Amino acid sequence: MQTVRVKKPAGSRQEEGEGEGEGENERVGEREGERVGNVVSVLSGSRKRRKGSRGNSILTRQDSSFWMFTVPALLIFLIIVQIPFFIGIFYSLTDWDGINSAPDYIGFANYRELVNDTRALGSLSFTLRFTAAVVVLSNVLGFSLALALTKGLPGTNAMRVIFFLPNIIGGLILGFLWRFVLIQGIQAIGKTTGWAFFQTPWLGDPTTGFWGSVVVFVWKTAGYLMIIYIAALLNIDKSLIEAADIDGAGKFQTLIKIKVPLLFPAFTVCLFLMLSWAMKLFDVIFALTNGAPYGSTEVFALNIYKEAFVYNNYGYGSAKAVVFFFFVAAITIVQVWATKRKEVQL
Amino acid sequence: MKKIMFLAVIFGLLAIGMIFAAGQEEGAAKEVELEIFHFKVPWIDAWENLEDEFEAAYPGVTVETEISGGGADWRTLLKAKFAAGAGPDIFIIEGFSDYQLWKEYIEPLSDQPWVSHLLPNAKASATFDGELKSMPLAMEGYGYIYNKDLFAKAGITKTPATLDELAAAAKKLKGIGVYPFASGFGTWWVISNHFTNIPFAQQDDPMGFIEGLNNGTEKIPGNAVFNQWKNVFDLVLANSEPNPLTTDHNSQVAMLANGQAAMIQQGNWKEAVLYDTNPDLNIGLLPIPISNDADAGRVPVGIPFYFVVNSTSEAAEKEAAKNFLSFLVGTPEGQRYVTEEFKAIPAFDNIPASNLGGVGKDIVEYSKQGKTIPWMFSFWPDGAVNEFSDAAQKYAAGIVSFPEYTREIQAMWDRLK
Repeated sequence: MQTVRVKKPAGSRQEEGEGEGEGENERVGEREGERVGNVVSVLSGSRKRRKGSRGNSILTRQDSSFWMFTVPALLIFLIIVQIPFFIGIFYSLTDWDGINSAPDYIGFANYRELVNDTRALGSLSFTLRFTAAVVVLSNVLGFSLALALTKGLPGTNAMRVIFFLPNIIGGLILGFLWRFVLIQGIQAIGKTTGWAFFQTPWLGDPTTGFWGSVVVFVWKTAGYLMIIYIAALLNIDKSLIEAADIDGAGKFQTLIKIKVPLLFPAFTVCLFLMLSWAMKLFDVIFALTNGAPYGSTEVFALNIYKEAFVYNNYGYGSAKAVVFFFFVAAITIVQVWATKRKEVQL
Repeated sequence: MKKIMFLAVIFGLLAIGMIFAAGQEEGAAKEVELEIFHFKVPWIDAWENLEDEFEAAYPGVTVETEISGGGADWRTLLKAKFAAGAGPDIFIIEGFSDYQLWKEYIEPLSDQPWVSHLLPNAKASATFDGELKSMPLAMEGYGYIYNKDLFAKAGITKTPATLDELAAAAKKLKGIGVYPFASGFGTWWVISNHFTNIPFAQQDDPMGFIEGLNNGTEKIPGNAVFNQWKNVFDLVLANSEPNPLTTDHNSQVAMLANGQAAMIQQGNWKEAVLYDTNPDLNIGLLPIPISNDADAGRVPVGIPFYFVVNSTSEAAEKEAAKNFLSFLVGTPEGQRYVTEEFKAIPAFDNIPASNLGGVGKDIVEYSKQGKTIPWMFSFWPDGAVNEFSDAAQKYAAGIVSFPEYTREIQAMWDRLK
């Protein structure tokens, strides 16, 4: 059940007649797949051990070369992620403003305040709606692109690169670019053509702000998911497809009954990635709308940032961040657990 | 062979680099590096020349300046610098609320040579906890920067000073096919700090009003001045470009400079960039009237920011910092930058305001006549400028009614105070 082991059988390359550039993309997908696979197996580690399947989880590995390679990375992880995390928990129990050298300990007052913070709850609701929209749209689009681009059509490699490219652009730059396109670009088109669709104030009201953000983020991420799906699709044993064909399954039936169940490890990864990316999204929104208009597109990460750094309530901001951590962790664990149950073992 | 040559070149460069770096380190023992942080992005080019002149006058000091502003969260950056133990030697605060935040890092400046030349009201506002702790440089004012040529073309002979006159002017401007206003309501500080400042500053006793809000004796909903201010808010919304919430301060400047709009709510800090974009621009400043009283037309004039010296810097750096500030306002070379380059209205009686643009001249004129109101937003609670912007944008978009809007900002005040 090792998730997304996307190494291709040796023969498949010749069969598909693929070029060099595309192999490159696949390796990217493969690496990410493995990384996330590890996260997933850590998350579900206990279940695995109980079942007595292959016991090579990182927790039980003994040989010294393993530790030699892991310790430096672990150390860095400890210093830049773990320790600040606990410092953050400490600050969440204080009234620190971010500058004062002697913050006061105030217990759980910050956490109690959160219940009545309508602005924070509003931004949480935006984050959830946004996440729901992008998880669905990005996966549907990524999967559709992957299906279309594994058919061996001419120009496939170029298309894969083009769809993957938005992922390489940094979130901030991408946000500013799209801000220009949506506000200046679309209005310019609206002025010349007079079409009502182009005259709507993009990013100027909550609805267009929401869909504008969704479009930009889906545009950024769909190509990445596409690469993972392509890798998984190419990994499906050709004999299974052939067998289905001989048994008289149509194209659609093959997709639903054979491919989709076999692709579940990829779904696990892609859903997990999108959920955690979308819920923790900051940079794209910061550049694109910065919460405007009137805070209606304020994702929770941006709300935390503003609370801590703009409103000078570092302690309260930390409390929000801690709560948000457990919230995101809970949702993603449930998702991974749910999709992993559906994975097919051969 | 080529590879070996390439490697040799690389190693050679590295070696030279190391020697160079070592040399620099030796020199650094004597040199003082003065770090400055401020948010006046439009000054960026002139500031570099100012640094050069200062370095020439004070050998052994190098100046490093970081400028972050416009739409950026400069406070966040400044906090990050202090958190990393790399607080600049000179930084800026916007007023009392900022002082409260940073006070343990602020060095008193009352013994400085320029103190005696500070204008009285500037000196009063730079004094915190009973001691002069900051250096104001310039005064700024805002209102409606207007294109005089477009006003003439529309047949407006008298510069509007009351609400009705402004409404009549807007109607005439619409008649010649330009947008009377480019609102810039997409930028938070335009709609919040500056525009929402008007009803606070137009109170009979602005400071008393703030105190009243803090101790609960004053309320924003139902306040007469806020209700008057609604009229000018509605006037702007009815006469501005379409989709005001997507126009930011840069679009405002562009629209005024290219003649698309006749008025923008901005201040003299935008003058340099306006003249850069269109040197032939014929502009002046109108007040933001909230009623038809003869004396309704008042211009909000204030000190936009104060330089402060970091009290935790090393002694040599503090010395250099104080020298820099004295150089800027106490020597002819430095003063030239204040007036000629920054086109600022000096807060000192020994720096004659010269080379002001149309907007700056009008501000000086309103100040002379005493037709000014203060900048009250530096007395708002932390975070109010951002939240008031959200609330006002909601009203601008027609999501909430004006009474709902006033109740909302009252609730924000009560929560943030």
